[in-house]
Amino acid sequence: MTEPVLSVRDLQVEFPTRRGNLRAIDGVSFDIAQGEVLGVVGESGAGKSITGSAIVGLLDPPGRICGGEIRLRGERIDTLAGEAMRRVRGKRIGMIFQDPLTSLNPLYTIGRQLTETIITHLPMSMQQARDRAVQLLEEVGIPGAASRIEAYPHQFSGGMRQRVVIALALAAEPELVIADEPTTALDVSVQAQIIAVLKRLCDERGVAVMLITHDMGVIAETADRVAVMYSGRLAEIGPVREVVKRPHHPYTSGLMGSIPTIEGRAERLVQISGSMPRLDAIPDGCAFHPRCERAFARCHVERPVPESVERSQVACWLYDEETRTLKAAP
Amino acid sequence: MTERDLVKVADLSRTFDVSRPWLNRVIERREKEFLKAVQNVSFSISKGETFALVGESGSGKSTVAKMVVGLLAASGGNIVIDGVDLGDKKHRARFGALRKRIQMIFQDPFASLNPRWRVGRIIAEPIWAFEKGLSQDGVDGRVGELLSLVGLDPRDAGKFPHEFSGGQRQRICIARALASKPDFIVCDEPTSALDVSVQAQILNLMRDLQDEFGLTYLFISHNLAVVRHMAKRIGVMYLGSLVEVASPRDLFATPKHPYTRMLLDAVPDLEMTGRERMPVLGEIPNPIHPPSGCAFHPRCPFANDRCRAEKPGIHEAAGILTACHAVEEGRI
Amino acid sequence: MSVQETPLPPVAAAPPGTERGSLVARILDSDIYYSFRKSKVTMAAGAITLVYFLGALLAPWIAPHNPYDLATLNILDSYLPPAWLEGGDPRYLLGTDDQGRDVVSAILYGSRLSLAIGFAGVAFAAVLGIGLGLLSGYAGGLTDTIIMRVADVQLTFPAILIALLIDGTVRGLFGNLSREDTAFWVLTFSIGLSFWVQYARTVRSSTLVEKNKEYVQAARLIGISPIVIMVRHVLPNVMGPVLVIATINLALAIITEATLSFLGVGIPSTQPSLGTLIRIGQDFLFSGEWWITIFPGAALAILVLAVNLLGDWLRDALNPKLR
Repeated sequence: MTEPVLSVRDLQVEFPTRRGNLRAIDGVSFDIAQGEVLGVVGESGAGKSITGSAIVGLLDPPGRICGGEIRLRGERIDTLAGEAMRRVRGKRIGMIFQDPLTSLNPLYTIGRQLTETIITHLPMSMQQARDRAVQLLEEVGIPGAASRIEAYPHQFSGGMRQRVVIALALAAEPELVIADEPTTALDVSVQAQIIAVLKRLCDERGVAVMLITHDMGVIAETADRVAVMYSGRLAEIGPVREVVKRPHHPYTSGLMGSIPTIEGRAERLVQISGSMPRLDAIPDGCAFHPRCERAFARCHVERPVPESVERSQVACWLYDEETRTLKAAP
Repeated sequence: MTERDLVKVADLSRTFDVSRPWLNRVIERREKEFLKAVQNVSFSISKGETFALVGESGSGKSTVAKMVVGLLAASGGNIVIDGVDLGDKKHRARFGALRKRIQMIFQDPFASLNPRWRVGRIIAEPIWAFEKGLSQDGVDGRVGELLSLVGLDPRDAGKFPHEFSGGQRQRICIARALASKPDFIVCDEPTSALDVSVQAQILNLMRDLQDEFGLTYLFISHNLAVVRHMAKRIGVMYLGSLVEVASPRDLFATPKHPYTRMLLDAVPDLEMTGRERMPVLGEIPNPIHPPSGCAFHPRCPFANDRCRAEKPGIHEAAGILTACHAVEEGRI
Repeated sequence: MSVQETPLPPVAAAPPGTERGSLVARILDSDIYYSFRKSKVTMAAGAITLVYFLGALLAPWIAPHNPYDLATLNILDSYLPPAWLEGGDPRYLLGTDDQGRDVVSAILYGSRLSLAIGFAGVAFAAVLGIGLGLLSGYAGGLTDTIIMRVADVQLTFPAILIALLIDGTVRGLFGNLSREDTAFWVLTFSIGLSFWVQYARTVRSSTLVEKNKEYVQAARLIGISPIVIMVRHVLPNVMGPVLVIATINLALAIITEATLSFLGVGIPSTQPSLGTLIRIGQDFLFSGEWWITIFPGAALAILVLAVNLLGDWLRDALNPKLR
């Protein structure tokens, strides 16, 4: 088995404030293989965006990585200093952010932004870089790429801008692309187009993708595997079909049940009472236990260790060997 | 208009003047530009029912919502609520009584509450505005009741909005909306800014309240799944016009208008049924310079010459209203 | 369609337990007070300003002499140097001026006047500026255009010119009133008219933002009148930057008053403010009686510096991006 493109082990991120250290990410581990799309899903405050920022070294100060390791094809990148990290960030990791309006510099033509990125990271002449830029724009589906290359970001619609951002992310031929809520600010119809473009391009190039989103629908469409985050921890990680259709962790099944679908199966939506705990008030034991209907004594005191269930890893005591033998059925 | 119609909107239109300033126009030799945000929208809502308006950006659904509650003046058409024509000067006197019965819940739970006011005061504002005779204790009691009704603690009245999460703030907004004992509530994307599990709580709450108080909702959203869950009848809007109005079952099972079909195909497949889908073509055009004839024709696989020239009118068949030549002609 | 604002890290949120505590408790525990304690310079500036305030407030009781009471002045005591120099008198710690006024007392009473005018001027500017800014931002359209153009024109007039204008007008209209009576109001008006634009502009831009927020729409929905909305809903939310501007303006106002007095259009020399004292002393600077001008000058400089530092700190403390 080839080495994974991205390997995160026991990542810990904290924010020191004058009221104490807030642990935003507490022991998250996952791999992304070449050509695979890993969806990282969670609600606000779960820590999924922070995970993405930590990987590319763009954590907002005073946030910092205080434990664990991040490896890109075996090499550690979390310990890299400024300049070295900058090179990695541009060349080997591409980023797509939520808001296409602010991802592109409004003062430069998209052609210039693309060629600049290409030249910085790849050994090419200006003309070659331009040709490549036009080619990229065609690949992401911008009509009339050869002339549109001279246009400014504000002359594109939201969906077109996001395509440009995808082109920009792929320009330097990265090994990994981190997309943070790439479709949230777009209309539903445009969203479908963007997901399709992203998926197709990354498939063709064998690029590993970390897709961060709160939208389970996008995950179901795009991802191969999905990691569900809660309170800075991983609740469940497994193949997308399994997590979406047969979720194991009570939080995941609550989450899936609360999403209305156009098939309209439920009369009343499943409701998880309460809300995700604030960073300075994370409960002992399992972070989800105060809201979990199936919590028992152990959940209150001990933090669950990930267990293999079918083809997923689930951090829940219900799936622990002991519990499974003690209880008739979870 | 039937007896049970609480709200009836007819030929509602709204045009914005988005021209450049006069001096610029003279120097650059440009024409005046107008944005037809809403064009001849008509629908009615029965008492106790939820009518949803669904559409993407530029569809005009939020503009319709603002006109119905009176925050924005209509450029054309009229709005009649419980027999009172909102645009008619003669009805001015009945306006005051009507205001109390219409309320609105907004999209952004962070901007919907005055950050400097305590929650109790925020909820009490409509009470003070409409019921002049109550004592402070009476008002406090009502505020406490309302907070309990939406699932919060009456003691929360002393707190400030920033102490609450998004979902809780939306509950406070709902409590404020209920304070004047309205009959009709316009909900403008009330759960779009909320997490999915919180959305479920709020939607369930809204339905429970509707059952308990016989409320009528005009529900605006861009999310088809949410709308399916909440509404009795759904209106689909595109670039300022209604293109289809149907019940959820009809709309989702047999969508008629090509735009509705495209929209449904674009919704991510959460059930992972692997269903066949039509790829989405093109993007929403600029509303200042809309296409000729039917606004959807550049993106429509069924468009013909008539579509390019003539704007379709509303055509009814089996309770479903559609604005499409192809449907009317029986082509699709 | 935005994702909900993430609730972490809760830098600005109140810690659990103090949400509904008393105002004092909330202030003491707030981030602002914390940043105040952290900076030695700010604490020093705060202390100095406090000393001035107290000195000015309690001047009638703590000043060794009353420099305004002509009966207590002894012309034979004039031109006395500071106490530690030869020829000095321990009763007059920093010396006396040409009329036998004790410099220490003159500074105390002078600061009183300077601070009073500074506050009054800033208050007038603030009220005028906030009022016009709110109106301009909320009403929009022609009202907005008119007020903003008036503001633009206002900025072309320096404070001194305005003071001269008003002074002349007042003299023409109320020639029978003495300088003492009118000086305070002339100065207050001049300073107010010079500085209101800053407030108006800031409040106007904040108002433009707040006016479109849903809580204002919710109030309009239930039929609350625009004036009530402006004052009750919008005003509390646009006051933030006003405090910072006011503090920095205070320093500027005091200097302006000093300048005007120095130039002779401010407070007359019978009841001098710091600026007037400096002017009076200037005549004697080169004839050797330096203390008459230097000490009031130093007092003014220290006061203005302290207030400025406080304003700087406040601006940084209230800026969410820097926290």
